[in-house]
Amino acid sequence: MDFRPLNDTERRQLINALRGNADSDRAILIDRRDTSFAGTADEVTDEEVISAIKSVPCHY
Amino acid sequence: MLQALVNTAGRLLDDLNRSILRGRAAAPAAPGKYQALQRVILTDEVARTLFEEYAAHREGTRGEEETGWMLLGLRERSEAVVLATLPAGADCNAGVAHVRFNSNAQALGSRIVRQADRRLTTLGLVHTHPGSLRHPSDGDYRGDSVWVGHLRGGDGVFGIGTVDAGPDGDPVFARQPKPHVQCWADMRLSWYGLRQADRGYRPLDYAITLGPDLARPLHPVWSTLEAHAEPLDRLYRQQARVTFEVVAGQREPALAVDVSLAEPGNSVRVLLEGTDVRYFVRLEGELLAADSQESRADRGVYLLLAELAAQR
Repeated sequence: MDFRPLNDTERRQLINALRGNADSDRAILIDRRDTSFAGTADEVTDEEVISAIKSVPCHY
Repeated sequence: MLQALVNTAGRLLDDLNRSILRGRAAAPAAPGKYQALQRVILTDEVARTLFEEYAAHREGTRGEEETGWMLLGLRERSEAVVLATLPAGADCNAGVAHVRFNSNAQALGSRIVRQADRRLTTLGLVHTHPGSLRHPSDGDYRGDSVWVGHLRGGDGVFGIGTVDAGPDGDPVFARQPKPHVQCWADMRLSWYGLRQADRGYRPLDYAITLGPDLARPLHPVWSTLEAHAEPLDRLYRQQARVTFEVVAGQREPALAVDVSLAEPGNSVRVLLEGTDVRYFVRLEGELLAADSQESRADRGVYLLLAELAAQR
């Protein structure tokens, strides 16, 4: 386990996730290997975004 | 006693079912959660970026060429909220009648912008046309009708920039002569939506809200980002704790890349300014310049990490 203080970005993401869970019943994801915080169901993977960007066709 | 056991088991089963069903209700977004886009919402800074950079592009040496921006933001049920613009880049392939974005730089740009908000997704793009061609072309349709399959909901936002606002444009403020048209000075942005299997683009109403262009701080360092996109992207994918920020450089804004070391607070910092690359090591609060001439950022970082490991 990586015991260390969260940085600003991680803290903001965790607070948003907790707020989304409390307010809107949004799922909080955990890493199956070590149960660490792994984002929320609303998050988009890098692969999805990069795949779209790399596939943009030529425009005329 | 047996009856009590059966009752307890029944209650546990009910609880389990409720728990499973509640879990399903909050499951990750399924394709069915999206409806066709009814509207695109731009933040005020995104709208400014598009018009200001379009105007600047026209005044540049490549002003006759087409240009464009990738749009990132939130895909909501029937609306797209644009929160970031990724420029086509100086290394894009463009001419009077075509533009192909520099996708390596945009891919890295998306990683940097999404450091702060992992909900951001690709929503669509804006590109410019010569003359008064305010509608996407047949060539655009052939590519876009396939590409929208990569987007959430299979629906994309497409903006077309032209310089033909005429009496619809005012030099002081932006007007909205039609629900899907935005004019400022002599420039016009026309917004369209396109879904998979649609036979053509449909006009898409737009609205403005207060908010940032989350990628705008990156625009002054975009040429630096283009120059180092491939090694930086490799570094980001290979190392778990890499962060980026824009900082003041010696001559112009610079891109700083921090790679965390095992000890809290310690890191390797790469400062990129144009083609210049400088390396630093932060050890126990002290920033030390590293004597490295390596121009490829990923290789420079790994050489430094090897040296630091050898000193332990």
